[in-house]
Amino acid sequence: MNFSSKLIEEAVNAFASLPGIGKKTAFRLVLHLMNQDVERSEDFSNAIINMRKNIKTCRVCFNISDEEVCAICSDKARQQSTICVVENLRDLMAIEQTGQYRGQYHILGGVISPIEGIGASDLNIVELVERAKDEEVKEIIMALSPTIEGDTTIYYIAKQMEGMGVAISTIARGVSFGGELEYADELTLGRSIISRVPYGQVND
Amino acid sequence: MILEQLHQHNNITIYTLNKIVLTQFKNYERETLDFIPEFNVLTGKNGVGKTNVMDAIYYLCMSKSYFGHSDRQISKHGCDFFRLAGDFTQGKKTLKIVAKVKNGSKKEFEKNGRKYDKLADHIGLLPIVFITPDDNSLVRDGSAERRKLLDNTLAQSDAGYLQHLIRYNKLLRQRNAALKKFAETRQVNHALLDTYDQQMAAPAREIFHFRKQMTSQLIPFFQEQYNEISAQAETVGLSYKSALNDNDFPSLIRAAREKDIILQRTTAGIHKDDLVFTIGDYPIKQLASQGQLKTYIIAIKLAQYQVLKSIKKYPPILLLDDIFDKLDNQRVTALVQMLVKRDYGQIFITDTEPGRIRNIIKEKNAMVREIERV
Ligand SMILES: [Zn+2]
Repeated sequence: MNFSSKLIEEAVNAFASLPGIGKKTAFRLVLHLMNQDVERSEDFSNAIINMRKNIKTCRVCFNISDEEVCAICSDKARQQSTICVVENLRDLMAIEQTGQYRGQYHILGGVISPIEGIGASDLNIVELVERAKDEEVKEIIMALSPTIEGDTTIYYIAKQMEGMGVAISTIARGVSFGGELEYADELTLGRSIISRVPYGQVND
Repeated sequence: MILEQLHQHNNITIYTLNKIVLTQFKNYERETLDFIPEFNVLTGKNGVGKTNVMDAIYYLCMSKSYFGHSDRQISKHGCDFFRLAGDFTQGKKTLKIVAKVKNGSKKEFEKNGRKYDKLADHIGLLPIVFITPDDNSLVRDGSAERRKLLDNTLAQSDAGYLQHLIRYNKLLRQRNAALKKFAETRQVNHALLDTYDQQMAAPAREIFHFRKQMTSQLIPFFQEQYNEISAQAETVGLSYKSALNDNDFPSLIRAAREKDIILQRTTAGIHKDDLVFTIGDYPIKQLASQGQLKTYIIAIKLAQYQVLKSIKKYPPILLLDDIFDKLDNQRVTALVQMLVKRDYGQIFITDTEPGRIRNIIKEKNAMVREIERV
């Protein structure tokens, strides 16, 4: 595409650098903004700059957060005794979406897979073990993908927590969540959290 | 048609490939070939692609090339796609198997228009044994070739075996990658190694039992087949060599840990298993004559055929590629006459000389179709 304006071209390129947005769409969005008041564009860019500059990672659970501690961790109405361990933010949101779980979370940042260069120390495992030492924590629910790497991670964490008196459970496997938690339908996922099984039981 | 009578008599449902369509497969742009349920002889000069047709048949049954050619190598030169379609019948049932393989996408296998979720689900449906001059590697090369023989037989006879093998191999690759990473960072995470060791123990135990049992199932068939083709009374033997014969997996891998850390790979486990081939009291490697070696190898492959047949309760497809290579006429005659006499299923043979096989079996009332390739 050839633009008669360098300004337009730069704005189009900026939009087109986003995933799922091609040059044509980018041009349409730029035209739209151009025809609006200047304030609309200012609000738009400020929202992005603000988000990017101020978004934090919760220091407790590694969820995204506006404050040092996220809204879930600071919600006193939620149960303190269970921690649900997930791979990433999308999985956390998928479980929240079910409305079936009212405890705490912990985002690991992935699963152990040395082939992809991810070792145990690249994940938030040490922090999880620290959290589990709190007397209030009675149960850790492992909601990781049902792959060999997911298994390795659960096994490894369970070993780190041996003798700590914390119950470890996994969400029911084999339920139709096609490998990835985020694609699970809410009902199935909600049900599998309620009918979670103690870890030793699945492993034998 | 003596074979059909035989099968009806023994109440065996023979399964056959009636037609195959190759599209952009190796040297074929597009080719349709029809087959009969008995002997199919593919004739033509060297290099016309007879072996490629055999490999296409194998691919439809096993979802990969017998010769380990990658899907990218298989596509006809300059093409990024190939397709195979086979019309099979089993008793009154018809089975249409289609393989669609495109570079850069997941390969697809269909049975009667329905796509398989996992390729592993297809293995074993259409049992097949391939005998080629390449099989010399069973004796000549390292233990990997011999493990492959056991794995191939087991994968076709038990769906569970493949699952254990896939799981073990994935864990092994992760463990090896972890050992490499420890060397780079100069920090060993023993707890992670403990995790892998524990996870690998169950599939290792299963694979060991499967392989051990398969070896003992192969032995009597092997002896019988060898005596029949070679007309010799020597005793031939197979033994399964595995560190798990004397140790359990957890203590085996625990004992190897320091060595593994230094060498940055897993040095003990069922991925080191081997099969030992003997004749009389000697290892087969010491045999001098090519003909004797060839006979030995064919007997092992025919033992594989017989084992699969006894497990599946129906005869596999048998592919014989270039058996005249290094086998004298007398041995080939003995072999082909044995194949006609016994209740084998559908057979495919390649030969450079038209009519040679037909001459051997002319007195038998078996059907032979020659497919000329120029
Ligand atoms: Zn939090």
